[in-house]
Amino acid sequence: MKNMIKQVFHSPKFVVGFVMFMLVFLTVLIYPLIVTGDPLEMIGNGAFFEPGTYVNVDEVVDSQQYKLHIDAKSKKIEKDLDQTTRDDMKEWLSKFGGVEESSIDTKDTAALLKLWQDHYSTDIKMTGLTAAKQKYFKRLGDTIVDIVNDEDLSIAEKDKESGELKEKTKIGSNVFARVSSISNRKTFILGTDNFGRDVLGELVSATKTSLKIGFAAGIVATLVGLLLGLIAGYVGGITDDIIMFITNLFTVIPSFVILILISYSIGNSRRGVGLVAIIIGITSWTWTTRSVRSQVISLRNRDHVNLSKLSGHSMFRIMICDILPYIASYVVMAFILQISTGILSEAQLSMLGLGPSTAKNATLGLMMNWAMQCSAYLNGKWWAYFPVILVIAIISFSLNLMNTGLDQVFNPQLRD
Amino acid sequence: MILWGDILKGLKRYYGQKIIWYLVTLVFAIILNFALPRCMPGNPVAGLVGKAASGMTDASATEKIQQEYTEKFGLDKSMPEQFFKWAGAAIKGDFGVSFKEYPKPVSEIISESIGWTIALQLPAILVGWFLGNLLGAVAAYMKGVFDKVILPVFLFMSNIPAFGMATILLFVFAIKLGWFPASKAYGYDLIPNMSWTFIGSVIHHYWLPFLSVVLVTIGGQAIGMRSMSIYELNADYVKYSRFLGIKDRKIVGYVFKNAMLPQITGLAMSIGTMMGGALVAEIIFSYPGIGSALLAAITGQDYPVISACTLIITIMVLLANLFVEIIYGLIDPRIKAAQQD
Amino acid sequence: MGKVMLEVNNLKTKYVTRFHEDVYAVDGVSLKIEEGKSLGVAGESGCGKSTLALSLMGYYFAPLHYMSGEIIVDGKNISNMKPNDIRRKILGNEIAYIPQAAMNALNPTAKIINFVEDVVHAHEPKVSKKDIYDMAKERFEILGLPEQVLQKHSVELSGGMKQRTVIAISTILSPKVLIADEPSSALDVTSQKMVIKMMRELMEKGFIKSMIFITHELPLLYNVTDDIMVMYAGQIVERGTAKEMVFDSYHPYSRGLMGSIIVPEAGVRDNKLVAIPGTPPNLKKPPEGCRFADRCKYAVDSCKTNKIEEVNAGNGRMYRCYMSQEKLKEVYDND
Repeated sequence: MKNMIKQVFHSPKFVVGFVMFMLVFLTVLIYPLIVTGDPLEMIGNGAFFEPGTYVNVDEVVDSQQYKLHIDAKSKKIEKDLDQTTRDDMKEWLSKFGGVEESSIDTKDTAALLKLWQDHYSTDIKMTGLTAAKQKYFKRLGDTIVDIVNDEDLSIAEKDKESGELKEKTKIGSNVFARVSSISNRKTFILGTDNFGRDVLGELVSATKTSLKIGFAAGIVATLVGLLLGLIAGYVGGITDDIIMFITNLFTVIPSFVILILISYSIGNSRRGVGLVAIIIGITSWTWTTRSVRSQVISLRNRDHVNLSKLSGHSMFRIMICDILPYIASYVVMAFILQISTGILSEAQLSMLGLGPSTAKNATLGLMMNWAMQCSAYLNGKWWAYFPVILVIAIISFSLNLMNTGLDQVFNPQLRD
Repeated sequence: MILWGDILKGLKRYYGQKIIWYLVTLVFAIILNFALPRCMPGNPVAGLVGKAASGMTDASATEKIQQEYTEKFGLDKSMPEQFFKWAGAAIKGDFGVSFKEYPKPVSEIISESIGWTIALQLPAILVGWFLGNLLGAVAAYMKGVFDKVILPVFLFMSNIPAFGMATILLFVFAIKLGWFPASKAYGYDLIPNMSWTFIGSVIHHYWLPFLSVVLVTIGGQAIGMRSMSIYELNADYVKYSRFLGIKDRKIVGYVFKNAMLPQITGLAMSIGTMMGGALVAEIIFSYPGIGSALLAAITGQDYPVISACTLIITIMVLLANLFVEIIYGLIDPRIKAAQQD
Repeated sequence: MGKVMLEVNNLKTKYVTRFHEDVYAVDGVSLKIEEGKSLGVAGESGCGKSTLALSLMGYYFAPLHYMSGEIIVDGKNISNMKPNDIRRKILGNEIAYIPQAAMNALNPTAKIINFVEDVVHAHEPKVSKKDIYDMAKERFEILGLPEQVLQKHSVELSGGMKQRTVIAISTILSPKVLIADEPSSALDVTSQKMVIKMMRELMEKGFIKSMIFITHELPLLYNVTDDIMVMYAGQIVERGTAKEMVFDSYHPYSRGLMGSIIVPEAGVRDNKLVAIPGTPPNLKKPPEGCRFADRCKYAVDSCKTNKIEEVNAGNGRMYRCYMSQEKLKEVYDND
């Protein structure tokens, strides 16, 4: 046994898979200890805040001002003038400003602004354009004036008695605040989701739930598969025929379909995390049954089993003592695969809206479903779903690697 | 030839057994489809009448539906009676009417979407299967960069669920790069017809859903093919063939044919899982196939459509399996041999 | 003296294991076979006799590697030929091989005739399929195999039939040397007899010009081959005619090997069935002196340190022991 474990850890594939899986597993265990609090708290008022650090604006205004000799203005202009605005500027300049189209470079912000300031005037008549378009260009002209405007920004306070606005402070374009002296800060490494929840915390908690579902489904599937496989293989005869008929039936009828039918039928209110795990478990045991049965058949006429039979040991004892130890490796391998199947099945079910319906728990599938329902896919809110896909892929990949590694240890002819 | 009679006899028995087995499976699938929802504690059929009418404001329509469903499902009759009534209608293609899109018949919803699903999944699974086998064989035989880089990359990709791959492709190629449209199967402004514009639009919309299924299929097939090829490359007949001076090209031909055969069975075994994944991928692109119809039905609590969808999916998987097994019987002589004695 | 069909001089080959260790499985083997003669190679499992069979063909692939020595087939030195040339011109054509595990030697998904076509085309690409079929049919029928076998897949053939089919395919191009590696050991007695009969017919009808027959069953060799060679730990320890080897072997190991087998022949029948104690040496580090010394009851101290050379006893007879023929006779008589 000890030797076997040692051998397993000599397989590079197994080790890589094991390390990847443990990284995920330990993160799930340790992260909640460091970042306490409800991972599903709706912290953001609004949907899909981008990843980054958020600082309190009120505090920024009040904090000490540092003047730095940095041309902050042009950097800001660079950012504010997006490509469509630039293209529109180019269009106006070439049509009405009398500037040669080829001489306009939309990438060179300074030159473009210079051309605009030199040629743009509200007096020029924009003939041949629709009224809407004319209005658009007028607005564009005003916006650019705003962007370029270099006057200081005034922060005013209302006087409590007179109601008069009183200037409190002035902020120039090169005034800076020191980030660490602002006490109200919040970092969302992965932004927030559609409900304004911190995606990272939610992801960790969802991974935990999904792993639980995977393990529970795996245990159910392995137990059912093992039991049926043992009985079919050991008892043989008509029992074997019946069990194999059922197994073949459920191999061919897609488990996906049965999952949908059961999940839908038991209704939203009853579908908790545990029940979903059990449903997945009882629809994915066929592989285990097949592999256990074929192993048991090859074992049941071995000498040591016959000896046990002659000694009058009970069937139960023979199975536990004489057969189980020989098929343990196959069972472990099947179990590992069942975990990843369980996690994937949950994700698929949740995508169809048949996942665990609970407000207290997030699962990887539910996170994908929420992202989909709020069109995160179409709006480019990658942080709401991409990390989820990555975690699913990493868990599944690491489990498969472990399985392949074990397979190579236990079936030497697969070694290359 | 002398042995044609025997061959045919052997194959006939093989096919006969297979077809009977699949018919029995189909019967069981139909029973399951009927019985599962009715035996579950939530029993959607019992609450059907109430549910059917819940979203409606038109009083006469409500009453009509209630009447129709009490009669249709024979809720006052015994279970076996209900089953034969239901199955009899289902075989004729009558699945009742949709709740959500009343009074549209369910069969219409199914027939509108099934074509899209088959046209998407069949080529995608076959192409993914073929490319996967090719990659696996090349990785086993040539080793090097195929075995050390390309195969692991595809292996990792195969662990991304199909809908995950779909979202990634959508984000990169439709949203960021804008090369392909993000949803539906053809342009919003088009009406299905046989014009070149329409066909062009369909092809343009086809790429991303197609690729997402292909990309996740390759890795799993490749690793299986690689193991089988390595196993076969070390087989005794390879050594013997070499010692008879047979050319490597020929031997590689033997090896890949033999390694391929278990892969065909593997395809039959996993086609259900693959289709499940691909159906959910459809949803991401709002591809108008069975997957999207299923999602809409589940969201809208449209039980008749759900029931029809699951039955159709099962039948598709069964047919695909049967087809694969028929092909297998034709190309593996061992099947024929096993049937002859 | 007939024409020499196969001559091997001081051939050395090794295995390289997964852990990059060298195993010297064939360590300096020399032999000669004349036209129309057959040579049996005997030895316990692991002595290198199967490796010798593979090494004699001059075509090596991992984990087997060529080290030194030469192989001359019908006057042609093949040990310096390019591997691809050996495969195209020699293998299957001049030297043919019958593998140990004929059960799995045939591609399970190809028809026998297609495999025969591939063998013939590998050497003579221009022959038409019709000609190959006629030729194969004729040859199969002479060897007692029905024509229908050609149309079958290997999975449809019984074990004995499969082995005979393999023999027929291997010799379809009438090779000069046939190397048969335990062709009958996995078969039941009836099939064994048919295989042996077939091997004899091949020689008698001139379909093969010479044969090396490798087995661990000595009585078989006595009936089949002209000469017998005994291998131990990668080396030849004795060679002589079948009669000499069975009734009057020199080397203590050959004697032990004969003694450990029941031979229903007068003269040896009285010999007690004795097992040779101990195990062969590790070929990763072969001993300096006599490789049998550890298990030899006649060994003296110098056996373990002194290199023991082959002793030529005339008439193609040789053995590898420090004792003279007279001394050996004396020792055995005293037992």
